[in-house]
Amino acid sequence: MKIHSVIKAAVVLLFMVALSIPGMAKAEYPDGPINMVIAFTAGGSSDVQARIIQKYWNKYSDQRLVFVYKPGAGGAIGFSEIAHSKPDGYTIGGLNVPHIILQPLVQKAPFGVEDFDYICQVINDPQVVAVRKDSPFKSIKDLFAYAQANPKKLLVGLVGPNSGHHLMFLDVKDKYDFPVSEVFYKGAADQNAALLGGEVGVMFGNLNDVMRSQDEMRILAIASEKRNDFMPDVPTMREQGYDVVSYIRRGFAAPKGLPQDKLDYLTKIFKDICTDPGYVADLKTAGQPGEYASGAEFKEYVLSQFAKDKAALEKAGLLK
Amino acid sequence: MMEFIVPALGHIIEPWNILLMVLGLTGGIIVGALPGLTATMGVALMVPATFAMNATSGLIMLGAIYVGAIYGGSNSACLICTPGTPSSVATTFDGWPMCKAGKADFGLYTSLISSSFGGIIGTIMLLFLAAPLARFALRFGGPENFWLCLFGLSTIAVMSADNMMKGLLSGAFGLLISTIGIDPNVGVPRFTFGYYPLVQGIEVIPAMIGLFSFSQVLYLIGSHRPFIADYTPTPGAFGQVARFLGSKCKVLLTRSSLIGALVGMLPGAGGEIASIIAYNESKRWDKNPEIYGKGAMEGLASSESANNAVIGGSLIPMLTLGIPGSAVAAIILGALLAKGIQPGFKVFTNTGDLAYTFIMSQFAVCLLMLPIGYLLAKVMAKLLRIRLTFVAIAIVMLSFIGSYAIRNNMLDVWIVVIFGVVGYFSSRVGLDTGSMALGIILGPMIEENLGKCEHLSHALGGSILDVFFSSNIAIALMALTALSLATPFLLSKKKKMLFEQSETGSCGTEEDFDA
Repeated sequence: MKIHSVIKAAVVLLFMVALSIPGMAKAEYPDGPINMVIAFTAGGSSDVQARIIQKYWNKYSDQRLVFVYKPGAGGAIGFSEIAHSKPDGYTIGGLNVPHIILQPLVQKAPFGVEDFDYICQVINDPQVVAVRKDSPFKSIKDLFAYAQANPKKLLVGLVGPNSGHHLMFLDVKDKYDFPVSEVFYKGAADQNAALLGGEVGVMFGNLNDVMRSQDEMRILAIASEKRNDFMPDVPTMREQGYDVVSYIRRGFAAPKGLPQDKLDYLTKIFKDICTDPGYVADLKTAGQPGEYASGAEFKEYVLSQFAKDKAALEKAGLLK
Repeated sequence: MMEFIVPALGHIIEPWNILLMVLGLTGGIIVGALPGLTATMGVALMVPATFAMNATSGLIMLGAIYVGAIYGGSNSACLICTPGTPSSVATTFDGWPMCKAGKADFGLYTSLISSSFGGIIGTIMLLFLAAPLARFALRFGGPENFWLCLFGLSTIAVMSADNMMKGLLSGAFGLLISTIGIDPNVGVPRFTFGYYPLVQGIEVIPAMIGLFSFSQVLYLIGSHRPFIADYTPTPGAFGQVARFLGSKCKVLLTRSSLIGALVGMLPGAGGEIASIIAYNESKRWDKNPEIYGKGAMEGLASSESANNAVIGGSLIPMLTLGIPGSAVAAIILGALLAKGIQPGFKVFTNTGDLAYTFIMSQFAVCLLMLPIGYLLAKVMAKLLRIRLTFVAIAIVMLSFIGSYAIRNNMLDVWIVVIFGVVGYFSSRVGLDTGSMALGIILGPMIEENLGKCEHLSHALGGSILDVFFSSNIAIALMALTALSLATPFLLSKKKKMLFEQSETGSCGTEEDFDA
């Protein structure tokens, strides 16, 4: 009886091993479509950028890229979806910085910057200081002079609160005497409208968002290290004597714990696409300020920014 | 302008573009009619397809979907008392009583003709008045939008004139619901009870599917009726409707369409508010306000013409300033930008070919909608011939799929169920679900704009009242709100002289529960 059941068990075991052999001899990664999680609504800037990636994807990979939209809470729902997916290389997604830094800090979002394996950075969208075309302010110096002469009178439009714009605002206020009143808007569209309608006198906004209304605005400065190709005539903040640098960056990542060979595969594809001249041209047409950086560089940036932003929020008393 | 219009007409009659308009309209109407699938989603889904087309054809198709979906929302509003898109909430007020009275075809045709009319008025505004109107729209900031929303909210007073206490109570409940999620002014989560997904707040669409559609299913299942409503098509109904609207409702349609186009231009406010304000104004100025809510073609006509006029309005700031006037306009803007087309007043000169072809295509779409919508309405009305048990299952299924599809999120499905139960019991005790929906829709905007006013008051060095009274538009809106609040008293005086009783006509009020 006993021997019988041992044989039985052995047969079952053999059978299972036999079954699993095709699994072991599985085709190389990827052998199925890869899910691309987008944390914003279809048709938004993040989606448009990812769709341009998709256009070139099959030039470099045999598998399809499938878009999964998980919008909500300023991206936090989608980001946490990426962080909590299985790290099998079949779920990747777009990340926005500083969103992924601020949301866990301020809203207790259920993920952290350490929950991702970073694949690459694709967009580096600097913030700009914009006024209406007919505004008396011609430079950053004019703006500061007016603000200091009329404390609290100048209204600054920001998207926020607790956003990249808000952090840049805190940074400026921390470093310089800038006694103004801030007004928060829920998105770039409302913020642009408020500036054009004269509700606020100046705004901090992203290059990508400001460009669509640029006929109506004057850009006083760009908060990047060097001038931007989209607006070569606009001087940087530093050129005008103010040490302020602030960006929104976008990149792609997989959940933490992705095997190295899969990560290498993805890294290579994204690098190939981002250096494809067709992709670069399409990005430019869409008005997206592209800047490729490797996953390692992107990760380093995120971690250093995390420390900076956390300190800034603590200093402003916005972290409880 | 003229040098662009003639070639634009030439582009529109290209067979490929006509095909795109027909397909866009048909798809849009179906998407709009399905509860949970909104105009925003329909347009967003088709954006990737436009990447493969030239910019003009892509825009024509997206525009056609937009128009179709906003009209399509009225089909489900009339037939199953479910606003297919948030813009059609006010359509249920009269559309559903009409359907229950066996006049579904009249309801559908009224919606169709009014939608087409509203769309044309909106497009005329876009064609001739884009520049000055865009400048005017920009004057709507925090205080103006705040009072506009309060004006919209004051509709509750008119809607529930007979039992204002209950109306206010359900409106307040809606407002309370809308505070779940991240505080728009401080940026911290509220009322999430430790459950993180609630930080995104209660999405309006699943809440409305629950309040209107799911609760309706619960009620219908309990009613032992074999069909949703009796329905025998009246021969010549379309002609009768057209004659009625053409003779009796000229002023009403024009006024509602103008309201729609104006509200549509504002970046913060869209079809949801426009249709409600238009409905309210029609009721206020009508000689027989008591027929509203009981299946008045006038009510349907005002709501549906206003929400389609919103389209032209919302495209004005999008094309001229790069500021979208609605969620759908924002997606169309994204598609434009992806093609490298810069919005701005120059869009009418530098890329005039594209801009005018798009505008002229909107006229074509509004006209094409009449035959296409007519055929589809005939098909959709067949729903009333299907046994209720099947229809109920289908509604539940579509509600779940639709609400899940909004954010690919199970939370939204639970919201449908919870609000369905809330809506069912609210109706039983006579709390008006329409007021609740208004609270949920307008709450976030009221809060956000009130916060803005508070911030603005820092610069004035005064209180929030100084902000309110610093704007003429806000003062005018305050006066309108006061007038709106006084309306029930004026109406009841009038009514005393005429009839004795009147009833509100929201979905499933007490008198529905006689079965």
